[in-house]
Amino acid sequence: MTGTTVDSQIDELSELDVVSVVEEVWATFLGADAFMPLIPLAPGTPAPADPCWDAAITVAGAWQGIIMISLEAGLAHHVTEAMLGLEPGGEHSTEDVVDAVGELVNVIGGNIKGLVPGPSKLSLPMVARAPIRVSSLVELVRLPLAWGEHQLALVVGVPAGGDSVEVGT
Amino acid sequence: MKILVVDDSRVMRQIVIRTLRQAGMGGHDVVEAENGRQGLELALAESPDLVLSDWNMPEMSGIDFLVSLRAAGSNVPFGFVTTEGSEDMRARALSSGASFLIAKPFTPETFEQVLSGVGVS
Repeated sequence: MTGTTVDSQIDELSELDVVSVVEEVWATFLGADAFMPLIPLAPGTPAPADPCWDAAITVAGAWQGIIMISLEAGLAHHVTEAMLGLEPGGEHSTEDVVDAVGELVNVIGGNIKGLVPGPSKLSLPMVARAPIRVSSLVELVRLPLAWGEHQLALVVGVPAGGDSVEVGT
Repeated sequence: MKILVVDDSRVMRQIVIRTLRQAGMGGHDVVEAENGRQGLELALAESPDLVLSDWNMPEMSGIDFLVSLRAAGSNVPFGFVTTEGSEDMRARALSSGASFLIAKPFTPETFEQVLSGVGVS
């Protein structure tokens, strides 16, 4: 992929639009907890510290790219409780966390897919209790965010070579 | 009224059911399925009054579920609740026999407005 193509994709995908998607999804999923806003952190803020939960989803078609989210482990459990309508500390399984974090990236990814040229197809989400690594990724948007004492980060990227995205942990 | 909620995410099924309750539609019986294939079996066995289905699911997608359901002779009102709300997908959903498409994320107000259009209250 040439620099010009990446530049044009940056133009098409406004960081403000991505922030708006994340805030809307967050507010909807976290219900009453959403009164506490997501605060953007300074560019260059490191990714959430391990242990963390990462999730990724790819878009394939007229636009090729990946949307990834990384949450501190404590936040991933909190989000799971909120999405399931449990009280804080309510009983839930690892499978529930995988489901919740995966659905979070699925909905964010689906909405970002609507901001880029189509037609394209959204993959099923991949979730890992470890950093997800993507080879040769050009990051179009990286959003480090704070929610209370927790940190999370969202990345939207495209493959540097213009091919499909290869994902691993 | 019996409502069949189909989504491969248990978390999302819970959110849909909670949103139905928040929209003042909590008094209905809810049946859950985790993919289109299971949804099809339950739709034919349980005869729900409304189906709310995700689109992108393993085993059988929501659109294949809808097409199979209509091919089996069922005319149950069917709506998609999905992350992908492009005009192309809305058009494909409606031409395949869906009554509506609600894009995620959604609000109780959206549910109330859309579902009242198919007679759910």
